[in-house]
Amino acid sequence: MDKLAENKIVQDLLPQQFGRQGQIWVVSLLAVCALGFYAYCRQLYYGLEVTALRDYASWGIYISNFVFFVAISLVGSLITAVLRLTDVHWSTPLTRIAEIIAVSAISFAGLIIIVDMGRPDRFYNLFTHGRLQSPIIWDVIVITTYLFISLLLLYFPLLPDLKIMISFKERNGKWLQKMYEFLGSFWKNKPEQFKITDKAINILSITIIPVAFAIHTVTSWLFATTYRPGWDSTNFGAYFISGAFLVGAGGVLIAMYVFRTHYKLEKYITDDHFDKMGKVVVLLALVYLYFNINEFLVPAFKMKKSEEEHLMGLFTGQFSPIFWFAISASMLIPIFILVFKKGRKPKWAFFAGILVVVGSWFKRFLIVTPTLLHPFLPMHDVPKNYTTYMPTWEEWAIAGGSLAGALLVVTFFARIFPIIPIHETIIETERHEKA
Amino acid sequence: MRKHKLIQLLVLIVQFVPSILMAQAVEKNSLSLNLKYFNDNNITHHLLVQAKSKIDGKFQTIPNIPVQFYIGTEADNSNLLGKGITNDRGEAIIEIPPTAKAAWLKSPNQNFLVVSTATKQFDAGQGDLAITKAKLKIDTAEGKMITAKIVALIDTVWKPIAAVDVTVGVKRLGGILNANETQTYSTDSATGGITAEFKRDSIPGDQKGNITIIATVVDNDKYGNLSAEMAVPWGKKSIYMTNFDHRTLFARRGYSPIWLELLAYTIVVAVWSIIFYLLVQIKKIKKLSFE
Repeated sequence: MDKLAENKIVQDLLPQQFGRQGQIWVVSLLAVCALGFYAYCRQLYYGLEVTALRDYASWGIYISNFVFFVAISLVGSLITAVLRLTDVHWSTPLTRIAEIIAVSAISFAGLIIIVDMGRPDRFYNLFTHGRLQSPIIWDVIVITTYLFISLLLLYFPLLPDLKIMISFKERNGKWLQKMYEFLGSFWKNKPEQFKITDKAINILSITIIPVAFAIHTVTSWLFATTYRPGWDSTNFGAYFISGAFLVGAGGVLIAMYVFRTHYKLEKYITDDHFDKMGKVVVLLALVYLYFNINEFLVPAFKMKKSEEEHLMGLFTGQFSPIFWFAISASMLIPIFILVFKKGRKPKWAFFAGILVVVGSWFKRFLIVTPTLLHPFLPMHDVPKNYTTYMPTWEEWAIAGGSLAGALLVVTFFARIFPIIPIHETIIETERHEKA
Repeated sequence: MRKHKLIQLLVLIVQFVPSILMAQAVEKNSLSLNLKYFNDNNITHHLLVQAKSKIDGKFQTIPNIPVQFYIGTEADNSNLLGKGITNDRGEAIIEIPPTAKAAWLKSPNQNFLVVSTATKQFDAGQGDLAITKAKLKIDTAEGKMITAKIVALIDTVWKPIAAVDVTVGVKRLGGILNANETQTYSTDSATGGITAEFKRDSIPGDQKGNITIIATVVDNDKYGNLSAEMAVPWGKKSIYMTNFDHRTLFARRGYSPIWLELLAYTIVVAVWSIIFYLLVQIKKIKKLSFE
């Protein structure tokens, strides 16, 4: 590859300053975060009373958000690890997008759990009094582990790019230059360094897969180890993981489209990427649909009394509009769109990605809350608002703030670092040219 | 004319005052006090009173009624055994105190009196009871047989009493389980006793297999409620099992099963070793830059 072409790739993929749209986007996200922070301050001051969480629905949209964040974080392992280990090269431009989504999502998954606690200072007790037998402890261990592995998986491939970034001293500005030098000034493009990095990435790719499976399986066990209608299932681990891969892949479709159009990366994130990613989403949606059928058809066939109220609430009762929306939006409509070649064009794929992500968020809500509102014992002598759950504005603001926070992390990362790996793209292009 | 109207009004008020007062008096209900005597294993004696009143055509138990118990027939302070207040079941209980010993020993027959003071809703009430002092004795015979005998104080001599219904059983889970399929036995005229075969094999006892057998006379018009019990080693020895402080999945912190600890710590150590190994690799990459 000639130097000119290489320079062109570098110039194309260097992080860019926010334009007008970018500034509006960042300010909007900051505003949502600020509102969320204000709502959280109110929650800290007045306690969980400001939420709609009561004796029965003690887990609401905070925990739905937690499950959603954990789910979407699995995309890092899918795109980076699974496709890398299977020697699939088309995913190279998407690996960093996937990894930063994973890092931001898993960070906010940890934060939202603390938000769900009425007394966040008691989080400390988890370490001093936590029981190894509890899935909650497993979740804390596995989330921390997954965060570290994801950070390393983000960092190692970034090293050659950091050297490129450092060479643009004038363009970077003072503090960015300092940060790049702190993170990667030691990278000299030596073959020994590449050898170590390649080995490290391979080790991480192998390690992250069981950890990623563990993180979402353990999250599913938070529910499935409890004997309650809707949660008492041996299917839950696989059901959660398949759903997680789907929402993560949907998230990547959205990010691909946004970065491609906003940073003019049509040459690097091509229609072919959308085509292939679209096919991946169809496959994952079909797998998730299969697990959903298992999850609902088998108990509905038996219709045990305790399950009946829960299932009827989902199919035809108070939760049915959300249920059918979630099933349609997260699986049926995206399958219908993406199964056609035209549907895998960027705009349609982007639309399908949005449907998958939004539908999946509501799907998590349906996993968490309806079960809590259907206890085994009848609800007697309780205030009327204990028997239903409608989140308060504080809950919406905090949940929205956390989602905006995760998007802010991705946005700032794309502002500071190349969102498509520069060095790997050059190598891939060279390989492509040689072939 | 005006003066005339005022007089008319006064007359009307005067006419209605007695009827208003009467109406208030009529609203009070009468109280029935049902007094019972208990001889508990020939060791202690207690009295129980139940307060009832007919409200809306039904007899209902009345809580919060202050009652005074007396020995004898007079409600004198010298006869006072004690005071109580009826509970949610309308019952008040008092043990006959040792101070009443002199009065108790005066006669083979004994009278008791219970008096309730008037409350806002109820009139004062009174109930009495006359009993003949009696004892129920329990023993065992060869072949897991239970014998019980009732004797009553006649003049100054304890004599066996015939034709009294006695139940024989084993104390179990807060109740009494009959010793066999026969509900009650009637004491014979010669000895005042009964014999019952114990047919409840394999009933759980304590660690030594001890169970408590009991004979009772319930609500006898003449002798009241009598009971006698004794421990016998006829039960099945129970071995006390507890998982408390054992290593289980549901135990407290630090008491998780060994297999779980091994599994969990092995996984954690393995994965974090890899992370530390990779951090060392970063250090190695750094070193390479200086070579």
